[in-house]
Amino acid sequence: MSNTDLLRMTISELAPMIKNKEVSPVELTETALAEADRLQPTLNSFITILHDRAMNQARAAEEAISRGHYAGPLHGIPMGIKDNLATAGIKTTVGSKVLADHVPEEDAEVVTRCRNAGAIIIGKENLEEFAAGATSNNPHYGAVHNPWGLDHIPGGSSGGGGANVAAGVTFASLGTDLGGSVRLPGTFCGVVGLKQTYGRVSQRGLMVTSFNGDHIGPMTRSVADSALVLQVLAGNDPLDPSTVPVPVPDYSAYLGKSLKGLKMGVPSNHYFDLLDGEVESAVRGSIAALEELGAELQEVSLPMMEYIGAMRIAAMADGVVTHEPYLKAHREDYGPDVFYRTVPGQFVLGKDYSKSLKVQRLIQAEYAQVMQQVDFLVTPTAPVAAPRIDAKYISINGEEHRVRGPGSGVISRNTSPMNAVGLPAITVPCGVNKSGLPIGVQFITGAFEEGLLFQVADNYENVSPSQGLRPAVAVGA
Amino acid sequence: MPITNETLKAMIRDYNGLELSDEELELVRPELENYFAELKKLEDLDLSDAFSGRLMNLSD
Repeated sequence: MSNTDLLRMTISELAPMIKNKEVSPVELTETALAEADRLQPTLNSFITILHDRAMNQARAAEEAISRGHYAGPLHGIPMGIKDNLATAGIKTTVGSKVLADHVPEEDAEVVTRCRNAGAIIIGKENLEEFAAGATSNNPHYGAVHNPWGLDHIPGGSSGGGGANVAAGVTFASLGTDLGGSVRLPGTFCGVVGLKQTYGRVSQRGLMVTSFNGDHIGPMTRSVADSALVLQVLAGNDPLDPSTVPVPVPDYSAYLGKSLKGLKMGVPSNHYFDLLDGEVESAVRGSIAALEELGAELQEVSLPMMEYIGAMRIAAMADGVVTHEPYLKAHREDYGPDVFYRTVPGQFVLGKDYSKSLKVQRLIQAEYAQVMQQVDFLVTPTAPVAAPRIDAKYISINGEEHRVRGPGSGVISRNTSPMNAVGLPAITVPCGVNKSGLPIGVQFITGAFEEGLLFQVADNYENVSPSQGLRPAVAVGA
Repeated sequence: MPITNETLKAMIRDYNGLELSDEELELVRPELENYFAELKKLEDLDLSDAFSGRLMNLSD
């Protein structure tokens, strides 16, 4: 099998071949590392590439298989890890100058779970400074470039991972999502991005910047691969009180199940209110396709979404508290976008913080009611396709909106609500715009219903116009 | 009426905040304006029956 063929495969396709010794983890890792080296000058998607460590892991993975110790579908699979997830003995910068030399002593729990499943970590991926933004235009490590349009952002903050999965460098990448930071790179880079239910996956080893909105989730080349990665990540962590001891089902068992009779909710407000025309057209096409697949359309109203912006109040205060020690000791090491977006948190009053949490509860209650009426929701993932890297503002419906820094947030207006609500959400590619940039559709289900989420996403993926599309920089595209 | 730089500087001084120059205070204004705009929206919302905190159960 050629290297080109290998690099174009999914985990679901590779796993049985690795298990049957038809594909060597050592050769696969060498191939992925060579592709990382080839594309790094173009995409700038890594902060650290782990050549020696990855090859050592790959040799150990291969030896284990030869001894009959196959650990499961991630065994021998090259993955990327966002550089805000702790890796023992490996620099973990969080995309910052402040932590440029930070070397954790322990792996994040999700990294441990991936290692135990036999995954090969080939590098630490570039991101927005402190994961605090949607562009991955990092002032210290350089901008990550979108494989579909190199002058465009890959989304953020997990932009390196999105770019790597789309370009065929990694077979999966772990990102983190506080306002859409897995799902936005997912939509802008044309890959699958998952934010599971809050409490489903341990956050231990992540520099969390909120009390109840941080999530760690995978970016993958297919919905089936997303299910395989979540299978490894999911579960209670006794050392992380945010996790919930809910049984973990077999997610792959949901793939291929029919959508006939499922109720599909389409919000009548917020999610379609501020939207680029091409994005709306693509997502409306997705809704029509889901109806063809048997889902029953039902419009739903979410009046409390008028107040969703109040979530930013709590985020401002949480953010400045997280950063306070660094801001006091290393103020000069911050880039302007993060500095001037973080510091205003010091002006948030306690009573306003409390109001923000009360609004969160009301919004959660409203979604809980809506999810009694429908099985899943469909929304656009982002209001636009990937903006240009040099754009400070984007125009939607004739209005100018900031892309990054103080006062920004329009890009994440459709993803950040699920960070406040905690329900699982996934983005799946649903076509490209006239410029050839990907568009994503977001599905949302009830709490801990990731199986149903994969069922919906997998059905849609099979009929998506994005099937078979690859960015020009990918090998063999 | 927008909050003045003098008020913001007094908050920084009295609450041991991070010092900001007049120029820097202008740079944080877009974020502060969002904050105040969202607060304004909440004026008509009844929060008396809402309890802060997260209760995420299987039945949700």
